[in-house]
Amino acid sequence: MKNILLILTLLFFAPGIRAQEMEGAIRYLVTHNWTKKMAAVDYISKQQRERISYMWGNRSEWKVYTVLYIKGSQTKYEDSEERAEPDDEGYSWRKDVYYIKRDLEKNTIYDAIQMLGKTYIIEDTLALPEWKVLNELKEVAGHVCMKASLEDTVKHQKIIAWFALDIPLSAGPERWCGLPGLILEVDVNDGGMIVSADKIDLKKLANELDMPKKLKGKKVKEADYIATLKKHMEEKRKAEEPPFWGIRY
Amino acid sequence: MKKCLWLPILLFFSTLLSAQNPSKVTIRGIVADTSGTVTPFATVMLLVPKDSTLINFTRTDDKGIFEFKNVKNTPYLLKISYIGYLPLQQYLPEAPSSPNDLGTIGIKPISTELMEVVVKTAKATLSIRGDTIEYDASSFKVPPGSTVEDLLRRLPGIEVDADGNIRAQGQDIKRVYVDGKTFFGSDPKAATKNLGAETLSKVQVYNEKSEQAKLTGVDDGKKEKAMNLELKDEYKKGSFGKITAAAGDQERWAGRGNYNRFNEKEQLSFIGYGNNINQTGVNWEDYGEFKGQNTFNDFDNGDFGFNGGGRYYYFNSDNEPLNNFDGRGFTENYGGGANYNFDNKKAKFNASYFYNETTLNLDQYSNRQTFVGDNSFFNTDTTNKVDFRGNHTLNTRFEKDLDSNNVLIVKANTRFSKSNTDNSQSQLFTEDGITPTNTLNINNSGKLNSFRLTSAAIFRHRFLKKGRSIAASVAYNNNGSDNAEDLFSINRFFKATTFTEQIRQMNDNQNDSWQFKSSLLYTEPLSKKWFWETFYNFSKSNNQVDRQVADPENNGSRIDSLSIYYNNDILYNRLGSSLRYSNEGMNVSAGVAAQQLNLTGEYARDRQAPLLTDPIDRTFLNLTPNVDFNYEFVNNMWLSLNYGYGVNEPQFNDLQPIPNVNNPAYRTEGNPNLGPERSHRVGMNFNYWNAASLSSIGFGSDFNYYDSQISYSQTIEVIDTVGIRTTTRPENVSGGRSFNTYMWSNFPIVKTKLTLSLNGDINVGKSPAFVNGVENETDNKGFGLNARFNFTPGQKLIVGLSGRVSFENISYSIQEEQNQKIQNHSADASVKWQFASKFFFESSFNYAIYRNDRFDFDRDVPIWNASVRRLFGKQNRIEARIAAFDLLNRRINISQYGSQNFVSRSIAPTLARYFMLSVTYNMRGYENKISKNNWW
Repeated sequence: MKNILLILTLLFFAPGIRAQEMEGAIRYLVTHNWTKKMAAVDYISKQQRERISYMWGNRSEWKVYTVLYIKGSQTKYEDSEERAEPDDEGYSWRKDVYYIKRDLEKNTIYDAIQMLGKTYIIEDTLALPEWKVLNELKEVAGHVCMKASLEDTVKHQKIIAWFALDIPLSAGPERWCGLPGLILEVDVNDGGMIVSADKIDLKKLANELDMPKKLKGKKVKEADYIATLKKHMEEKRKAEEPPFWGIRY
Repeated sequence: MKKCLWLPILLFFSTLLSAQNPSKVTIRGIVADTSGTVTPFATVMLLVPKDSTLINFTRTDDKGIFEFKNVKNTPYLLKISYIGYLPLQQYLPEAPSSPNDLGTIGIKPISTELMEVVVKTAKATLSIRGDTIEYDASSFKVPPGSTVEDLLRRLPGIEVDADGNIRAQGQDIKRVYVDGKTFFGSDPKAATKNLGAETLSKVQVYNEKSEQAKLTGVDDGKKEKAMNLELKDEYKKGSFGKITAAAGDQERWAGRGNYNRFNEKEQLSFIGYGNNINQTGVNWEDYGEFKGQNTFNDFDNGDFGFNGGGRYYYFNSDNEPLNNFDGRGFTENYGGGANYNFDNKKAKFNASYFYNETTLNLDQYSNRQTFVGDNSFFNTDTTNKVDFRGNHTLNTRFEKDLDSNNVLIVKANTRFSKSNTDNSQSQLFTEDGITPTNTLNINNSGKLNSFRLTSAAIFRHRFLKKGRSIAASVAYNNNGSDNAEDLFSINRFFKATTFTEQIRQMNDNQNDSWQFKSSLLYTEPLSKKWFWETFYNFSKSNNQVDRQVADPENNGSRIDSLSIYYNNDILYNRLGSSLRYSNEGMNVSAGVAAQQLNLTGEYARDRQAPLLTDPIDRTFLNLTPNVDFNYEFVNNMWLSLNYGYGVNEPQFNDLQPIPNVNNPAYRTEGNPNLGPERSHRVGMNFNYWNAASLSSIGFGSDFNYYDSQISYSQTIEVIDTVGIRTTTRPENVSGGRSFNTYMWSNFPIVKTKLTLSLNGDINVGKSPAFVNGVENETDNKGFGLNARFNFTPGQKLIVGLSGRVSFENISYSIQEEQNQKIQNHSADASVKWQFASKFFFESSFNYAIYRNDRFDFDRDVPIWNASVRRLFGKQNRIEARIAAFDLLNRRINISQYGSQNFVSRSIAPTLARYFMLSVTYNMRGYENKISKNNWW
């Protein structure tokens, strides 16, 4: 009882982080798992799936860092310069263009996404996905999070998100947002990709929220972008080839 | 269940009433805990009742008040969550009037210990279903072999007394279920005392109706605590395998089987095969399943050099029991083995044993034309060979992450081989293709026993400074072989006077060699983009050959002129350094290495005999530069360029001052003054991949220029006692070069239905050689083109059509009339058709054309295979196949080759038409469809 009172008192005096005041960077560790991505495609047989996992299961992971910058209701998400795989030091891959910018007050998006060899610049209003909020709790990066799920019918993905109950900001990594709290962890297709916050750094930001100056691309609306993506997914499915190369998972 | 019934009823009533209800409603309320204290900043959500879809959310203010203004008036699920409290869900029917004031809503705290321990300490997920709290049991660590009881003692909120009685949240647990079912009667302890903790995935504690209520069906309101133990998913544990038996006409047969068992950490597999249909090993698919996680390994190369950084996957090609039949002759094959893999993420261990044997029965007819000056000699050869080879292979590999910065890999492979060869050859030598000079009949047999050990240890350490690392390796290799040969040949001469010479030899060759090597690689980051790499390689090796030749006609006394013993040492040191720049897809490195090679050798007639010549002692010192450039353009284009200067030391055999006369018509001599082979190598490679149009293209080129090339010069002479004798001797020549370029592309003509692949290659080469002291330059010009159409009109049919043309022109500088034009062309058609459910038809047709105009050689080989298979059983576990191979009965192996001062052509019969019926039982079942791609 004493403990409960103590916690209550603490909670009362430290009522989470207020959205309006929040400024900082959240580092996410993104773990890709190729065999689990293959396990989620629907054109291969159970036998093939099992063979892939049997031969490659333990060697199919790679990790990268991404970062979400937050300044009040403005957020920007991008790939981090930091390398998560120590063995990648000394070899440089070209980074795909990927900047996801949101204004949660004005409900606008301004994204630059390289997909299938082309760069698209998407300016539109923010449409919120239909999350289902579930009854599970767990801790991510020191915050108690609640589970929510989403079905992405374009990319054929089963998405499980964990949002912080004490960070009232409807933002998140990649293009996910729209939950009552900041999304700290996302699991796509049972481990095909796991995006998990591992460092929350509240600090004054300089110009991290600005888009890069030299940014060229085809200006489209969200619906056009989704249509292009959908066409690709359907073609790859027909050709029975993995759909996830050339696009952001 | 009750909820499910109530929901439609509620919905029904709400729609009935909706006529009077406002279309928009304001919902408000106050959130407080059980003691009445308001909870500020609690999250309040409105969900769709049927699937929990989030409609709207807000937070309570500092007085615990929340409000949803003017939301659609439909039934909602109100969900309130607050840290440290059980999330609350409350059904809100459609409101009769607005605002809908819900008053004070109480939320219950989660016990602090539970929250702290479950969520924070064990990082376990906490699931809440009404008042059931469930946690992930696998997050709680217990020692291996622990029972469920041991695990329960660690769970927050659960107490287990000395007798094993369980209490949860202060109440006795009356019943324990396993996966929702009663476990061995009603004693709750039966399950908890007997089940292993590692089998559990979840522990659920909840209230259920009393036994009384269950029996009578009357809810007496009494609730009893119950526990459910959920077992782990079985998919991580299992077994699979298949077994095939096949029989055909002409006593053709085949059998193979494999069985695998695996769990999360271990894989154990067995495989076996036997056949007389030229399958000398297992196919790629079976091999992958046999080796499992150990099929590919990374960081397995301990011979560091330029570009030591970066990750490569190594296919375990060493001793692989893969099918590698070269298309000639008839074989009978047997093999089998076992493989064990262990992997717990920190350590990987693999051990595998394999035995394979092949008996080859080969008849081969060859023609060879050799040019000397203005003359040419012809040699026709008929060979019959019976060859047995058997290998025992034992491989082990161990990899351990000592901690996050230190990795150790240790591996050792051993192999014992035994082979028996019986070779009978008859050769006819003619001048100008008409006048016979001599015949040579050879009957040789040999027995070889050999042993090989390769072992290595590689250690890598990463320093705290990012990008700084060191790697070290040591390796020890040992080879030994004992080869006993029995040589018998008869040489008959027709020139001048006919006479016969007979050679009888008993050879005993003993070969022993060992090598010790060690390498170091150090990488220092100079900045974020610049890296400096330094490597050092050391190797010392020793090679002893003892070849004793005895004359059985002369009481087995040694034939001195043919016996030799030599002992060689090689000492190798290389120190190199390179600078690397890597940024935004650009990776460039340039460096230089100094390498020193010291060769020493002694030659005698046997171990005890005095040295035949002064010992050889040669030292070569070279500087070898290396440049690498890799660039990744935007939009999936890659370019790589590299330049290297290669120095290859001469082989000891080539330095040996004593001639080797196994075959009286061919003598090989060494050259003690031979220098190393030195060449410039330039390579280029470009790739483009267009993901949107599903197409790709690539091309590349390699150019080699030899400063000094080891070329085997020939002296061809007619010797009365031998006939035409060829003596080869290695020499250093300059000016040799080769250039080859290749391209491939793959693009759809009709997306997802019709694809065209095009490949082409061009090879140009010039190789100088001396024949009887005259320089003869051979020019090779080769050109090949491949085209393939893949047509997949639907799910049931795949058709492939392809064609290949290839031309090779060989021209000689000293005898232009001998210039050769060799052509090999082929066309190919294949079909896979599922003509009914579980019925498949597969067929392929290949038409190959072999042509050489100068020899008037023109041969066409059409090969047609067809099979029908059917799947049986509910899970398609049985497959029966009837297959016809080479329906036209035309299969034969043909090879055409030209080089230096000769052209040759050989024909070998091999397995032609046969029919086979096979039945396979596959534990996993076959898929009832045809796959478009067998790659992933």
